[in-house]
Amino acid sequence: MDNYEKLEKVGEGTYGKVYKAKDRSTGQLVALKKTKLEMDEEGVPPTALREVSLLQMLSQSLYVVRLLCVEHADKRNNTDGKPKPVLYLVFEYLDTDLKKYIDSHRKGPNPRPLSHTLIRSFLYQLCKGVAHCHSHGVLHRDLKPQNLLLDKDRGILKIADLGLGRAFTVPMKSYTHEIVTLWYRAPEVLLGSTHYSTGVDMWSVGCIFAEMVRRQALFPGDSEFQQLLHIFRLLGTPTEKQWPGVTSLRDWHVYPQWEPQNLARAVPSLGPDGVDLLSKMLKYDPAERISAKAALDHPYFDSLDKSQF
Amino acid sequence: MEFDNIGKPLTSFQEHYPDTIPDLFASENDHMPSQSFSTSPSKTRDFYVSFRREAISLIFQAQFSCNFDPFVSYLAVNYMDRFVSKQEITQEKPWLSKLLVVASISLAAKMSNSPFSLSHIQGEEGFNFDAQTVHKMEVLILDTLSWRMRSITPFSFLCFFVSLFELNDPTLTQALKDRASETIYSAHNEMKFLEFKPSIIAASAILSASHELFPLQFSSFKASISDCQYVDTESLLKCLNLMQEMVMMQGYESILETVSSSRTPMSVLDRHFMMTNSESDNTCSNTTTTTTTDAIAVAEKRQIKRRKLSDFCSKSGFQISQSNQW
Repeated sequence: MDNYEKLEKVGEGTYGKVYKAKDRSTGQLVALKKTKLEMDEEGVPPTALREVSLLQMLSQSLYVVRLLCVEHADKRNNTDGKPKPVLYLVFEYLDTDLKKYIDSHRKGPNPRPLSHTLIRSFLYQLCKGVAHCHSHGVLHRDLKPQNLLLDKDRGILKIADLGLGRAFTVPMKSYTHEIVTLWYRAPEVLLGSTHYSTGVDMWSVGCIFAEMVRRQALFPGDSEFQQLLHIFRLLGTPTEKQWPGVTSLRDWHVYPQWEPQNLARAVPSLGPDGVDLLSKMLKYDPAERISAKAALDHPYFDSLDKSQF
Repeated sequence: MEFDNIGKPLTSFQEHYPDTIPDLFASENDHMPSQSFSTSPSKTRDFYVSFRREAISLIFQAQFSCNFDPFVSYLAVNYMDRFVSKQEITQEKPWLSKLLVVASISLAAKMSNSPFSLSHIQGEEGFNFDAQTVHKMEVLILDTLSWRMRSITPFSFLCFFVSLFELNDPTLTQALKDRASETIYSAHNEMKFLEFKPSIIAASAILSASHELFPLQFSSFKASISDCQYVDTESLLKCLNLMQEMVMMQGYESILETVSSSRTPMSVLDRHFMMTNSESDNTCSNTTTTTTTDAIAVAEKRQIKRRKLSDFCSKSGFQISQSNQW
């Protein structure tokens, strides 16, 4: 790891510390994700092996943050002197993320809406990246503006924080015990469904889409129950007719009966095509929710110059 | 993130969703021995020929004693080839071959979720390394291969190439894929195929299989594969020639085997005639009508082989359809 000069700790990701660092030989900025490699009697754990190599494969896409290399180091443990294997995942470094970008448009010296051209372009790239993951049979499960890194100058959006779900984390609790955001979580997950699929990511994509337009979160719940109420208040309390099987889900309770509101009112500046796409991403029944691949062909993107992607 | 296909990695290795095809072609070079390998000095190459032969036989022994899926062996050999093409292996360390084999099998088994215990294979095969040594070797292999362990193999491309033929009959498609898989496994044991990309091996194996099974359509199949934007025709033809030679030699060897065991005196000419005869029968109608008893024996042997293989493939086919359900 001597090739890299650690510049600063930029965060604690779900599976370890993240540093901004510089490649000493090329000067390239990188994000170093440090993670313990728990070697047991079986050697390199199969989960770590499979997940890192899957990450290698997924990062081939332009819309997924690039994994530049994987470095392995043995750290001497101060207490017992035994070597502790550490794995560094070296990612390309991007200096901002969609959350910071939206925040800078909401507050700060010059608050203004994001341009519709940019929203369209970011959403398209997001769908591309999600379609890529899904086509390899991988769900992200934690898509949120913080996990979407931006190259502002080139107008590029990339999905980050893919992975290492099973090998390195206890899912719901984050490394720093910070509260894991529920705002982008699909209703089937909130209701305790165990057989969820690609629809969970598309729900998150819908929430992110609305947030780019509104410059504030669509469903800012602070507990799982509140999160559901936020959703139900806008989209109406789901019924068996709309979503077969919903009342049999593990965490289903009796909820107040809200009628669906007009979605367009939640995203006032969005045109009819955009509202249509959003409503397809926020379908209650996961089976009816639009897929990432189908979203790419939605009329909302007709005005986008797709040749650049 | 949920890794949906982690529980069924074999199927996801072998069958890819159509959308991922351009990605596969774009990154297959990262999963083959580096190009410098085929141009390395002949001395190194000669050494690797014997090294590899020994290693493959160790891997096969392990496959049978641990009852692995053949794909585990395939992966292990792939890791080994890629490793050797990037790291100097010297003749002074004969134990290294075994250590590399053990660690490659261990990694391949982990990647494929196949139950595997070091003690089992060590006990069975007379390898004897302590766990720590093997684990260090695993890490060295991982570092050398940049942790790209989800190898892109020829199997990843089979469905794509077969889909170009627009065959409407699923039994024909399956037969073609089965025979091509068999050919891919055989070709993997031979050094001369190391220089070809996985996609080229797949395309050649499909064509070679179609030549055996549906000779009438062969040229149209060949044309559709050659038209594919990702395929380098020159490399395809070179690989296809080598592969057809290999297949022919195998057919010839199996006839010789049968002939020599049947004690019937035969002239070389007879043998030659019989071979071409049974070859063409086999390819034309896929059933043998030759009255020569030896030829029937050969054909039966082939049928059995084919049946075994199609059993295996139909099993994995079942898994594939399951994995597509999510």
